[in-house]
Amino acid sequence: MFGNKWFVNKRLKNERHLSIISVLMCMFFSPMVFADKLTIYTYSEVPFATQVNNTKQGLVIEFLEALLTHAKIDYQVQLLPLKRGMALAESKKNTCVLPIERNQQRESQFKWFAPVMISRYGLFSDKSINTPLITLSDVKSNSIGSFLGSGIGEYLSNAGYKVQLTTNDALNLRKLQRKRIDFWAADIVTAKALMAEQKIDFGEPELIFFTSIRAMACNSELDTEVENRLQNALIHLYKTGYMSDLNKKYGLTIG
Amino acid sequence: MKTFIAPTWLIFTSLLLSSSATSADLFLKAADNTSVDSIQLNAEDEKKITTLISLLQPTSLTSLEQQQELRWFAQQSKPFKGLTIRVVSESIKTHVYESEVLARLFYELTGIHVIHEITEEDDVIKKITAQIETGLNLYDAYINDSDLIGSHFRNGNITSITELVSFDDGKLTLPTLDINDFIGIKFTTGPDGIIYQLPDQQFANLYWYRSDWFEDVTFKRQFKSKYGYELGVPQNWQAYEDIAHFFSNDIKHINGVRVYGHMDYAATDPSLGWRISDAWLSMAGVGDVGLPNGLPVDEWGIRVEQCHPVGASVSRGGELNGPAAVYAIDKFVSWLDLAPQEARKLTFNQASKWPKTGQIAQQIFWYSAFVGEFIDPELAIVNEDGTPKWKVAPSPVGKYWQTGMKSGYQDTGAWTFINNTPKERQLAAWLYAQFLVSKSVSLHKTLVGYTPIRLSDIESEAMSQKAPYLGGLVEFYRSEARNVWTPTGTNVPDYRNMSGHWWHYIGKIVEGKLSTQQGLDAIADEFDRHLTELSQSSSNTKCVPKVNSPKPSDYWFKQPGAPKAALENSVKGKTLPYKEAILVWE
Repeated sequence: MFGNKWFVNKRLKNERHLSIISVLMCMFFSPMVFADKLTIYTYSEVPFATQVNNTKQGLVIEFLEALLTHAKIDYQVQLLPLKRGMALAESKKNTCVLPIERNQQRESQFKWFAPVMISRYGLFSDKSINTPLITLSDVKSNSIGSFLGSGIGEYLSNAGYKVQLTTNDALNLRKLQRKRIDFWAADIVTAKALMAEQKIDFGEPELIFFTSIRAMACNSELDTEVENRLQNALIHLYKTGYMSDLNKKYGLTIG
Repeated sequence: MKTFIAPTWLIFTSLLLSSSATSADLFLKAADNTSVDSIQLNAEDEKKITTLISLLQPTSLTSLEQQQELRWFAQQSKPFKGLTIRVVSESIKTHVYESEVLARLFYELTGIHVIHEITEEDDVIKKITAQIETGLNLYDAYINDSDLIGSHFRNGNITSITELVSFDDGKLTLPTLDINDFIGIKFTTGPDGIIYQLPDQQFANLYWYRSDWFEDVTFKRQFKSKYGYELGVPQNWQAYEDIAHFFSNDIKHINGVRVYGHMDYAATDPSLGWRISDAWLSMAGVGDVGLPNGLPVDEWGIRVEQCHPVGASVSRGGELNGPAAVYAIDKFVSWLDLAPQEARKLTFNQASKWPKTGQIAQQIFWYSAFVGEFIDPELAIVNEDGTPKWKVAPSPVGKYWQTGMKSGYQDTGAWTFINNTPKERQLAAWLYAQFLVSKSVSLHKTLVGYTPIRLSDIESEAMSQKAPYLGGLVEFYRSEARNVWTPTGTNVPDYRNMSGHWWHYIGKIVEGKLSTQQGLDAIADEFDRHLTELSQSSSNTKCVPKVNSPKPSDYWFKQPGAPKAALENSVKGKTLPYKEAILVWE
């Protein structure tokens, strides 16, 4: 999507040390070029995007600032429920939504910028299961909690699992605690942050069963020039090591 | 204590391993050094193996041979016990079985916990891409169609099977792996003789039809009366079209159920691209004579000189936007009118369910990976005795097709190991891969998903007994056809970044946003541009593209072979009885 393999092999080996400095330089000294402001929807998900009073913070917020500044594109961020953000990004020009799972079913609906982050999903229980889970199919007869718009919820439903959806993921902690669901399927980093926030500890997941490429999805009518700028900016963030540093900062360490 | 001493059959097997001298040397070396002087397993492990033998039936091995294989896995996996590894594959019945059943058996045998993830094929490709581009260890191995061989042999991102077989003097290579027994090994071998991927499942695209309806005396009489020839297995696209019209517009209803003479899918989705790139153009007659993909022009319309791709557009000697390709796509689009109206909005997986409902008379190009789902006794397309009411046969060909050209698509989902995987994890995945394709497992697995990979399985008594219930699948795989139905070839240098153009532009053609010629011109331009970029960014790569300078179309049309000028002739429909039609496979 954002370059061929020969180029990428080289790009990841070079220029890592310039990362934060070059991005910050761009942020302070580059004028914004495009008149059409991009509206980018994200959703409240600790530690990726949260809003305290009027301040938005988290990995997604920092990523967007670096990406859009490097691309020299003016933008605004709005926090909305994921399902609503996806519907708006699909229907309105100059809008995007992130972070969402990029998958085959959604591929033709948007223009994609990926990967923004790699997530691993686990099944959390209330510690009452006795037999270790070996394969995902071990929970075929159990109820699993997820939330509306979640790629992992869609994945499990399509595979024939019994999925119960809430309006936001935080509600699943209470449901699991009250044994209204048997398992909670969640991004591991988010799950740990939510558990800490709500002072509920389900411990480690019983099974880490899925790896997801999460992306920024933009309206399919997005201007080609804007698309190219965003693609190039994302390449730049990987090339300079910015993405690696950002992921580490938020505990996203895979491999 | 039981002992396992490298026997003479091990050495004999190693001699059979590879056709190329280089690979043969490697495999012989590997097998020589894989001698296991003695295997010491405790009583608990021996008990597990006895249980596994009872579960993994049938097998082409004797009980003793199967026991030896499973004991080898138990022994060689000991350093990896307790490790959790991750692999991913597409969502077909074979892989679901591996994920839910065989991964568990492997865990019980070895203590290696495998998370075998199931996702869609396009997602597998995206994940391989992400692992290569980010350097992150997303998975320890992938099962991925061999269509990417053109990328793998050029780019250096893959740990080849040839390397893994000889790693650590072959100590982790199953002595009875028997590479030459894999019917799809040619698909995963590069022009350099290196085996890049190991087949795990294999499928072909064949013509599918309701043999019960085609043998119905009344239908036969009606068809001959209107079209002037016998209702039978279509040999060309005109006959396919006539039969489609016959069932969709003349017969319309059978036993009160609306029926259709054609089924396809055309939603703008990655799977629409495979519909065309897998073999649609070659069946129409795009490209040149010569297997596996046509030389010098292949089924993607890409011209290759020696091993260098030189262009896809007619102006550069390719055929992607030539008259034969336009004919192929025009037929694809116009035939949608003969299918259920939902077809235009369906994806690959959604459309695959339709023929099972008993409403479809024929499908020009049907994936045999679905056989397992089409023999369910509860279905309307299966007789009470369990035999199917359908058969598979060679697909009909278009008016540009000539004898000696690619006849259809076949591919193998094959184990693919990325270089940047930590070695310990990669080797544990290598053991799992070998377990899933071992002779201890493969026949049993084949009888679940019907995606055979080994000649020894195809020729087994178990498959003979099953043949009458599989609609011709066994006959196909026992014939020479298994060697001439081929996957995307090595001419496509960057499948991951080129294949997306197919569905993007074919979707626009289907939706009427572009004419067929405009859409194909656009894909050809995109391919030429990408080949040019590769030629500049990867000049040290093997078989790098060297794009031709453009010339007038007439120049190329006057040269022998593809690209071919427009044929204005009309073709009369031709059919054959089933038994004659499948003689082509011999």
